[in-house]
Amino acid sequence: MRLFPTMAVAAMTLIASNYNVALAADKPTLTVYTYDAIAADWGPAPLIEQAFEKSCQCDLVFVVADSSIGTLRKVQLEGEDTAADVVMGLDTNIAEAARETGLFAEHNADTSALTLPTGEWTDTTFLPFDYSYFAFVYNKELTPEVPASFEELAALPEDFKIIIQDPRSSTPGLGLVLWLQTAYGERAESLWEELAPHVLTVTKGWSDAYGLFLKEEAQMVLSYTTSPAYHRIAEEDQRFDWAAFDEGHYLQIEVAAMLKSSKQPELAQSFLQFLLSDTVQDIIPTTNWTYPATQTAKGLPEGFGDTSPAKTLLMSGVEVEKNRSEWIDTWQEKLSR
Amino acid sequence: MPTTKSQRHIQGWANALPGLLLAFLMLILIASILFLLANSQTGQLQLPSRTWQTVRISTVQALLSVACSLGIGIALAWALSHRRNFLGRSLLLSLLSASLVLPTLVIVLGLVSVFGRAGWVSQLLAQLGSDLRLNIYGLTGIVLAHSYFNGAFAARQLLLQLETIPAEKRKLAHSLGFTAWQRFRLLEWPAIVHSLPTLACTIFLLCFTSFAIVLVLGGSPRYNTLEVAIFEALKLDFDPPRAVALALLQLTICAVLVLLANLFRSRSSAVASGAIPSWPQPKAQRTSQWLVIVLACLMLLSPLLAIFLDGLGADLSRLLLDPLVQKAIMTSVAFASLSSVAVVLIAIAVVRTQVALSSSLQLGLKRWATFLRASIGFSATLYLAVPSLVLGLGFFMAARQLPGKLEHWAWIALIVANVLMALPFVLALLMPTALKAATRYDRLAYSLNLRGWQRWCHVEWPLLRRSLGQATALSFCLSMGDLGVIALFGNSDLTTLPWLLYQKIGSYRSQDAAGIALILLVLTLSVFNLIPALFNRSSNRA
Repeated sequence: MRLFPTMAVAAMTLIASNYNVALAADKPTLTVYTYDAIAADWGPAPLIEQAFEKSCQCDLVFVVADSSIGTLRKVQLEGEDTAADVVMGLDTNIAEAARETGLFAEHNADTSALTLPTGEWTDTTFLPFDYSYFAFVYNKELTPEVPASFEELAALPEDFKIIIQDPRSSTPGLGLVLWLQTAYGERAESLWEELAPHVLTVTKGWSDAYGLFLKEEAQMVLSYTTSPAYHRIAEEDQRFDWAAFDEGHYLQIEVAAMLKSSKQPELAQSFLQFLLSDTVQDIIPTTNWTYPATQTAKGLPEGFGDTSPAKTLLMSGVEVEKNRSEWIDTWQEKLSR
Repeated sequence: MPTTKSQRHIQGWANALPGLLLAFLMLILIASILFLLANSQTGQLQLPSRTWQTVRISTVQALLSVACSLGIGIALAWALSHRRNFLGRSLLLSLLSASLVLPTLVIVLGLVSVFGRAGWVSQLLAQLGSDLRLNIYGLTGIVLAHSYFNGAFAARQLLLQLETIPAEKRKLAHSLGFTAWQRFRLLEWPAIVHSLPTLACTIFLLCFTSFAIVLVLGGSPRYNTLEVAIFEALKLDFDPPRAVALALLQLTICAVLVLLANLFRSRSSAVASGAIPSWPQPKAQRTSQWLVIVLACLMLLSPLLAIFLDGLGADLSRLLLDPLVQKAIMTSVAFASLSSVAVVLIAIAVVRTQVALSSSLQLGLKRWATFLRASIGFSATLYLAVPSLVLGLGFFMAARQLPGKLEHWAWIALIVANVLMALPFVLALLMPTALKAATRYDRLAYSLNLRGWQRWCHVEWPLLRRSLGQATALSFCLSMGDLGVIALFGNSDLTTLPWLLYQKIGSYRSQDAAGIALILLVLTLSVFNLIPALFNRSSNRA
């Protein structure tokens, strides 16, 4: 009988496929809330998912919010019954607001591998996974000479223009306000007034600003020290660079944290620790276009350049939370003339 | 046997009821969203400082934008109504509609390519040896962009009105030897004047609640709107009560305007009858008509040309083969089809109600009819004044109370949001013609005892089909998918073209984004050519 083996194979396949389905159903799901650039098809999320699922016996699901702050607001709105186990992509400027919600648990991760410019990491709730500095990006061919500080920028003729973002709707926009505040303190207020004539326009988000810059509307745009790396590596375009400022550059550290309400804290913890592995840290630079948070064996791709800011500026989250409204108010007043 | 008075009233009610119910539902929706939000966190409803300054500046900005948009709209509609035959006229008409439906950022970058500091005009000036460079950032830029978005829409809508001037009247005007000015004052102005309040009101709402444009082209935070403050309250500070206070203020200001606009009532009964006759016109008139058309084309079409050329620089074949882009096209088209059918059906219900409430043979003479009519127009237009962030948050909180998976509700929420957003535009296209039809044919229809479906087939449909074709195409393109309103739902299966475009721009991929903008542009143009043609053909057969 020829039929028998065929049937046996079919039956076995059927059993096996059922078994697979059962296995898949038994797998726990780890839900990570993140923002769209990380979750994008070309972002780090798909690669991280592939790598983590190889070993975790779990289903890793990324849920997308429209922005970094959007992930926090979603979790806040959902409260205790949120589906999120982990939130990935908050930055240190809003981490304090996130801590105050009381929704986040300690990460208990081994942070010895971290090589952040700020030195040792002491926060036990939020775990950094990458960082970059805010900087003004320019086109070397169109703008051969760039200022080396805010003071120098303010002293330039008025037709030297920059494009910045609104601190009320954009992370870099807020970063710039804090940058000036950290570098200049009391003097920040009058400096904003001197910088105002150079501000071509203030946009809602990073995309609008960078779009205008690529249309050559202004000499410099507020972005990151890692932006030129994208053009060099992905587009093989060497024209772009960032202007090094003497007063130093404000740091943006991206962090992840797990939620107290997570039903699988161990899995969430292992995911957080996985973020610091060489696997993920090597994925980050050329997908998220930031610096990795650790020194990997492979190291940073060449296009990222080897210059780093003269000085690293960063304000404590508590201070940001306390003064943010007031500083934004001053900013608005000085720029609205 | 002709219909009696009481029968007419019953029929009037039957016509009015579905639209009344829908309008009522829309009001309930708005109220419950604000209620949910206000109660979500403890705190007081308080307006931040600087609020009144913001309101004042936004009002001035919006009024200027309305004046410019209507100016452009009237001039262009007038010129196009006289120049009825030239090569590319129908392409021009569909291009006019494209400006309203492309994503804001795309249009802004298109405008900047032409009018920016390094734009075509500045480059031309440099070539000519001039030191002058355009600087549009400031009030100029905001008004330019707003007139760009709304001027073309106004022209399209007013052209439909001008085309309803009966041939007999035009003939009479011609035989009396009217000058161009007399013709405009006695013939054309009366045909459009009644649709101006609603049109002006819609444009005002759009400009008063503008967000990305007032910032990106405003040059400084000086021109920001209440919408920016609402964003700050909800996103940055997470202070829903403050957001609700601001949203209520915005709604109140807009509500007063919408109510005022809806109190105006069309008295014109002119409806299109047959082909529009044309006579040779004096050279001066023809020249000025051509001048208006050429200037408008330069202003309105050059940014689209820039978008087109930018798009050609992208790797289009790779993009079109990309499964993600294909999926986005499918999703956008699916959503747009569903939404546009829903919008048009709802709009027809609302239009029938409004007609029943204004026709003197139905319910129009009742004392409360004017009030009801105004409140329906009010609830259908008001969503333009609800910040999409507030709407999105409201939907999100409502969906969480409902059974089923949150991601599934995202589909419903998106369609509802699309409908609410497109409804004012669709009503602006349909209402004037429908009211005119009723005023003119009500008596005849009742004396022939035409009602319900029969009346629709014989009276409304032949007159409305042109507007309906336009309305369907417009709502289709408006619903292609801005996902802002469902950002909180976290549904990653939903990828629409505009969303993909923003995602590409957000991660340095501006070439890909330009390619997607081109795909959107082509899609929009095809829709504006195909759908109205479908409507015209099916009616010819009938």
